[in-house]
Amino acid sequence: MIPLMVAGGIFTVIIGFVLVVLFISWFSNPPFGLGNASAQPVAFPHTVHVEQNNIQCEFCHRNVTKGDAATVPAVEQCLFCHKDISGRDSDAQTEIAKVQQYFADEQPIDWERVHRVPDHVRFVHEAHIRFFTSDMGAEGVAGKRYGINGEEITRAYGITETCSICHGDVGSMEEVQPKDGQSLKMGTCLDCHRVNNVPTDCTICHK
Amino acid sequence: MKLSRRHFLAWAGLGALGAVACEGFGIREGELNIQSPVSLPEDLVRGKDNWYASLCRNCPSCEGILVRVMEGRAKKVQGNPLYPTNQGRSHARCEAGVQAIYHPDRVPGAMRRGGNRGSGQFDPIGWEPEGMETLVRQLTDRASRGVLLTKPNRGHLGMLTSRFASAVGIEHMNYEAVDNNVYRSAVKNVYGQDVLPDFDIENANIVLSFGADFLSTWISPTRWNRGYGEFRQGEERRERGSLYHVDSRFSMTAANADKWIPVQPGWEGYLALSIAHVIVQENLQAPGIDVDAQLGGDAGRLLLANFRPENILHQVGITPEIAGGDPAEFIRKLARDFATHGPSIAIAGGSAGAHSNGLFNVEAATFLNWLVGSVGAKGGVRLNPAAPWDGVPASAQGASLDDMADLTDRIRSGDVRLLMLHNVDPVHGLPASIDLQDAIVSAQDLYVISFSPFIDDTSALADLILPDRVYLEDWGDDIPDPAPGYQVAGFQQPVVNPLWDLDPRSFPDVLLTAADELGSDEQLLPWSNYEAMLRESANALFSENRGSIQAATEGEFWTALLRRGGWWDESSTGPNASGPRAGLLRSIVDSASGPTFAGYGGEGTLYLAPFSHNTLQDGDLAHLPWLQAAPDPLTTVTWQTWIELNDITANKYGLREGDIVRVESSQGSIRAVAYLNPATPPEVVGVPFGGGRRHGSPWATDRPSTESSNVLDILEPTRVAGPQTLAWAGTRVRISHTGESVNVSKLEGDYRAVEVGLSSAEEIIKTIAPGNY
Repeated sequence: MIPLMVAGGIFTVIIGFVLVVLFISWFSNPPFGLGNASAQPVAFPHTVHVEQNNIQCEFCHRNVTKGDAATVPAVEQCLFCHKDISGRDSDAQTEIAKVQQYFADEQPIDWERVHRVPDHVRFVHEAHIRFFTSDMGAEGVAGKRYGINGEEITRAYGITETCSICHGDVGSMEEVQPKDGQSLKMGTCLDCHRVNNVPTDCTICHK
Repeated sequence: MKLSRRHFLAWAGLGALGAVACEGFGIREGELNIQSPVSLPEDLVRGKDNWYASLCRNCPSCEGILVRVMEGRAKKVQGNPLYPTNQGRSHARCEAGVQAIYHPDRVPGAMRRGGNRGSGQFDPIGWEPEGMETLVRQLTDRASRGVLLTKPNRGHLGMLTSRFASAVGIEHMNYEAVDNNVYRSAVKNVYGQDVLPDFDIENANIVLSFGADFLSTWISPTRWNRGYGEFRQGEERRERGSLYHVDSRFSMTAANADKWIPVQPGWEGYLALSIAHVIVQENLQAPGIDVDAQLGGDAGRLLLANFRPENILHQVGITPEIAGGDPAEFIRKLARDFATHGPSIAIAGGSAGAHSNGLFNVEAATFLNWLVGSVGAKGGVRLNPAAPWDGVPASAQGASLDDMADLTDRIRSGDVRLLMLHNVDPVHGLPASIDLQDAIVSAQDLYVISFSPFIDDTSALADLILPDRVYLEDWGDDIPDPAPGYQVAGFQQPVVNPLWDLDPRSFPDVLLTAADELGSDEQLLPWSNYEAMLRESANALFSENRGSIQAATEGEFWTALLRRGGWWDESSTGPNASGPRAGLLRSIVDSASGPTFAGYGGEGTLYLAPFSHNTLQDGDLAHLPWLQAAPDPLTTVTWQTWIELNDITANKYGLREGDIVRVESSQGSIRAVAYLNPATPPEVVGVPFGGGRRHGSPWATDRPSTESSNVLDILEPTRVAGPQTLAWAGTRVRISHTGESVNVSKLEGDYRAVEVGLSSAEEIIKTIAPGNY
């Protein structure tokens, strides 16, 4: 027989271990929904690109309307403009010079990931963009739809608006962070699927 | 004992600390990074794979492959189901192609020798100006006394190297360590063909193979394995085909045969003529075969009768145990079956052709196809057409051993002053008795340029290395040899770019650039680059408006060509079989002879049966770890050079598995790890080619000489009469125990013996436990 104290101790160690792992997972890793991402190798201001210059999300995130991953743009794509545009102030010039240097050195940029779903989840951007941008009431399309927090949507969204449902108003963020207070956990996905009458079979999302 | 609050808090704290500590083992730094690629090719979509059709160059048969590419990185290679030769199947060698791209030991860029020749010290230089300037300068100064040594390249690379040699005035030689020159000569003499024929194995009833390990390494094994699958289990077949294999070594093909006939090494031709005699004597030859015209009347018949089964049993070594009864009657029955239960195919090559009398052996066996009417028949031998383009070689042959010995002498004497090497390693591949390495090192005024992307035993002696791209990064083409009975042109396209820190250049492009800078004849080399050369030929195919691709424009044709991996025209078949030339059989009978063995002989010597390694071949792929780790299909040995011994032989020499054996010929000795196999004939030992590389990647070189040896080092420099190529099976050796032992690196025998099967008939299915064999 295992002495009660040892058994209780082992039980307590396991419980303590699990609780701390959950705690750390929940609050410290931004990919799981909350918390801030680390500093990026280049201080890319979405404000300048989206708000001021009105560049659409899909111009840089080329695959967002085509496939699973939204994708980050190639360095070469940055150089489409920044071959000539070198920045208005010294801060901008410094950051743009970094990008130009990456390209000159033929080095990729290692961005810090801000949004991420676990490896066992398959999230298809294209399907979600298609859902929220399709005409309301068109054949085969539901007359009502709801956002990620249950808010009713009464018209077909544009792509940028659709992105903001989960990612927030990235165009106004100097530094991209997860949408304030927005969870991207399984329950969030399920709630949205249920309210929009979208299948919730395990294999819809899980690999 | 009661769990107090103090204890609870202590345990909980411990658990929490553990959890925090475990975070250290969590996601690694950088794991959550997301990378912006540098460039933006049109077909690069993150998270999406692309499949490109191309050709495998790890196999001499150049199989059609599909390469899975994710975000500019090649991930996987598999067979191209459209490609007519391999039809979706692929060899393990094909799959290892991705390791060549991302190999850490690739030559990163142009380099020149930094120390003494052979020291392995090289200093990086740029391609421009120093690399190319040096190449052009050396060609200017030395081309007239230079040699360009390449593989026997078919297709446009063969044409380009040959034209380059003419344009700049350098001598061009083809070389491969284990060549098929004897078989090519036999095909020329017996069928009158310059290109190799195909075998319609899937529709044959009987396959009789003489020394050709066509299910493992011989010429086009993937294609013939596919045919063999149909031959055995094809759904539309009425009966299962029968395979007989004549070989002094227990090879993969022998292991698959219904009947393996282990003959004395080098006497295969006698058995073939004995079979021919029975067929002629019993008048079983195919209609249209004029025996008298073949043999020259009764005198010829009498000569052939010398090979009646009873007369040859002693030399060939077929005993009642091997035959399972009367050996002479066994040969007669085999001959009758071969002639009357067709379609039948006789395949000859490999070890049968690697003796001093190899050409006779192969010709005698090959002639059986004429005798039973298999040439040009369904289930027989398919003759192949010429290349779809004039001037583009559909086949190529390596230099003879005489040629290579002569080249070595010319290097040693200073007659050759420039040696350019592309993808060949003759220092490793030639018998040590030729001693090319010494010739290169001792030559007074020799400049050596290697275009190899990896250091090998010959590149290590180079003055300048200008690394080629590996084949998945480069353009190319191939005319399969053998083709599947009709015209095929496979196309190879670059599926990825070299990694950013590598700076290789395409060998054909370098030749074109060098020729241009030398002001060579533009008529010979009018193309700006290799892609343009291939594209011009593709346009020529388009203009003929035939074959597998129908397109409206040249551009559309080119795209379709690359998408399919090639072009083929099933209506452009080989020549019709017109029958053997008169007197052919008589000439073969007249050339009959037994093998001769130089060096050791007599009591205490054993026949050495070298064989091509299933994945490393002759050693040129030894730098690829997947291929080192791929188990040999028969022994399951990996990474090591082993010697196959019969148990009886091993007992005689006091050897056990794993003992290091000294294998000695009159030319020297090597060491190999003993592998006991009751299927190895007691008077024969088998050692694979492919080991013993001395320079280059650690994967090829880091094992001690007790475990990795080059069997080519100890081969007698005996020539095959006729082609004068190396008779690599013509060596006898003595063996002895060195006193050292190692574990054999193998998979076999690691599992406990388990009998399976519910009925007694199924009890034959067993596995063997260690120490129980």
